Amino acid sequence: MDNARADAPPASIWNFRLLAQHALNGFGGMGEGLSIQIAPDGRRILWAAHESAPKNFTGIDVTDPRNPRVVVQTELPQRFMRSNSLELVGNTLVVAYQVQQPGQAPAGFEMFDVSKPEEPRSISFFDASGPKSRGVHQLWFADGEFVHMAAGAADFTPRNQLDDQCYRIVDVRNPSKPVEAGRWWLPGTQEGDAEPAPERHVAGNDFGFRAHNTNVYPQRPDRCYLGYLDAGMFIMDISDKSQPKVISRWDNSPPYVGFTHTVLPLFGRDLLVVTDESVVDGGADWPKLVWIVDARDERNPVPIATCPMPPLRDFQGRGGRFGAHNLHENVPSPNCWQSEQVIIGTFFNGGLRAFDIADPYQPREVAHFVPEAPRNSPVGAIQLNDVFVDERGIVYTVDRFAGGLYVLEMDF
Amino acid sequence: MDTLPLVFPAGPGGGPFGRRLRRAAAGRVPVILVTGFLGAGKTTLVKALLESEAGRGTAVVVNEFGAVGLDQALLAPAATGKVALLSNGCLCCVLRSDLETTLRNLHADRLRGAVPDFARVVLETSGADDPMPVLQSLLNDRSLAREYHLQSIITVLDATTAVAALTSVPEALRQLAIADRVVVSKADLAPPETVQALLGAVHDIALGVPIEVASQGRVPPDFLLAESSLPPPSALVAEAVHTPGLSSFTLPFDRPLPWRRIATGLGLLQDLRGADLLRVKGLLAIEGCTGPVVVQAVGQVLHRPLELEDWPNGTVAPRLVFITRGALTRAKVEPLLHGILAL
Repeated sequence: MDNARADAPPASIWNFRLLAQHALNGFGGMGEGLSIQIAPDGRRILWAAHESAPKNFTGIDVTDPRNPRVVVQTELPQRFMRSNSLELVGNTLVVAYQVQQPGQAPAGFEMFDVSKPEEPRSISFFDASGPKSRGVHQLWFADGEFVHMAAGAADFTPRNQLDDQCYRIVDVRNPSKPVEAGRWWLPGTQEGDAEPAPERHVAGNDFGFRAHNTNVYPQRPDRCYLGYLDAGMFIMDISDKSQPKVISRWDNSPPYVGFTHTVLPLFGRDLLVVTDESVVDGGADWPKLVWIVDARDERNPVPIATCPMPPLRDFQGRGGRFGAHNLHENVPSPNCWQSEQVIIGTFFNGGLRAFDIADPYQPREVAHFVPEAPRNSPVGAIQLNDVFVDERGIVYTVDRFAGGLYVLEMDF
Repeated sequence: MDTLPLVFPAGPGGGPFGRRLRRAAAGRVPVILVTGFLGAGKTTLVKALLESEAGRGTAVVVNEFGAVGLDQALLAPAATGKVALLSNGCLCCVLRSDLETTLRNLHADRLRGAVPDFARVVLETSGADDPMPVLQSLLNDRSLAREYHLQSIITVLDATTAVAALTSVPEALRQLAIADRVVVSKADLAPPETVQALLGAVHDIALGVPIEVASQGRVPPDFLLAESSLPPPSALVAEAVHTPGLSSFTLPFDRPLPWRRIATGLGLLQDLRGADLLRVKGLLAIEGCTGPVVVQAVGQVLHRPLELEDWPNGTVAPRLVFITRGALTRAKVEPLLHGILAL
């Protein structure tokens, strides 16, 4: 290399404009749940799940994106709980509760009426605790009728504790009395299954055969696009919610190392965008990528490209994780930006990155934002965890540990 | 031609030329080309930009580190090798074997983290250089056009000598003819009537092009950093200029056109008279597109078309601006294009 390198700060921004940053009153460790509400009084409220206790969720008035203001910040009842995920439809907020150890309670999800954002009112609680359950890690709630989630259950006994969260569907059409509508798990992972247990990933890469994102869209209400960690991704037929059926599976591991997280369908493009989450610090599980998958025939998804990543060498030593995680998921909400040309994702210390996939065989990075390490970050680096873009094109992204909320505009 | 593979539908937000863009530079690094004769004041202009707050994050390509006359204090201590980082976040890159290689390496270095992010590239041509090959490299999709966007050609004119040069040196005339913006330098050293004569000449040759008279070598940074790759406002479309040896004219089009016909027409002009086709830039309504399509051509290179989300300022005004040389006049070009469109 013949270039001189100065001590450039890790912060960099290209084709995004930073409008504001808010440390959320010192509780800036955020999970992977972001949703926008237009409150009855006209205010635009961003609801954000916290990554861990003591805070449950925070409501932020982002009507003026340059001046975000916290309007409410709630507490979890137990220190061993984490909310991590939430979704909102209308004025109904659904919040996931996961616990640290199987058997702990409460674990499940809680529904809130947030018509008055300053005063969230509990509507109901769905219990997903059990001897082998850690509750709900992630949930999807978009149609106002069903919650799709990665969850354990009192009557779900995994053969391996790492496989404790399956795909569950809960009917919340009567929000005061949620009832389970159906569930599916990878055959062979529950005690009593006729199928043999799946071959586990090698030690160090064995993260579990369990559900993560459970996306369902109005374009195909009979399909669930399911990330199932070490089992790869599934397209599920949920036309009969009581009996979800596998249509197809694509699993890149081995040789990759699992943790398939998000499956984002682009219905107008016959494509899927799939992420594998980085879960090990220092880039030790590199490469964790964003995959572009040909979905012209849903029975046979074919990977055709990956989004270009910045160099491992430049990020692995910065602290914390480096690699793919969450995407902006085109949530079917009038308050959500929709894009089938640009994919925006978070990459932990790799920041926020946007890719033009107009030619899906050649994704191109068109923007990025890598903030400086937040004050008090335990890993000494930014760890951008989740992203949501509202219908105005305002981008909200959150740090996993300390940085709180970053509000940006796109300029590409 | 120029359209994406049809394996997958374009989907919402996309068209035959890919993603509809908010702006012409979207997702690419803008390049500002500063041209002008030796001693015209290009270096002073670039130096002032680098030292301004608005100029932060600029990568300037130079022949040698000393070329831009930067204060040593501005150079970061680690400034060695081919790239020097400046203390204000700018960087200087020494021209390697050729411009294309230099810009490719700069892009690659940026991707792999070898140099910090930069927001734009400023390219100062040497006074004797013909800027046409540089423009062709920037517009050629097989070389640099995927990563770089030609944002602006800024021609610097020395008020004390430019009038004479424009009448006696063909390269000076050509540099002015292709300009998107003009900076007049050293106006304080020239008699007022000379400056006025120059401004008049600039207006005649470079129709509708914004002009800024430098004060002590400086102009407002916004003038230098403005997006200028699109044609000037539609109010000027009916005018035409004929300077000896040069023609500048605008062809308006009142309906959506089939891209294949336009590409064929421009291709024919390029094949037969590319050397005289100095520059074409425009916005067209193209069949199958919902937004305006940006057209740029230099000599024998036609840039890959780009579709924008909206017409600038909401004004629908499809048009192509031609800057041509010799006998390639409007009288030749217009009937050819309309003939092909009518076939």
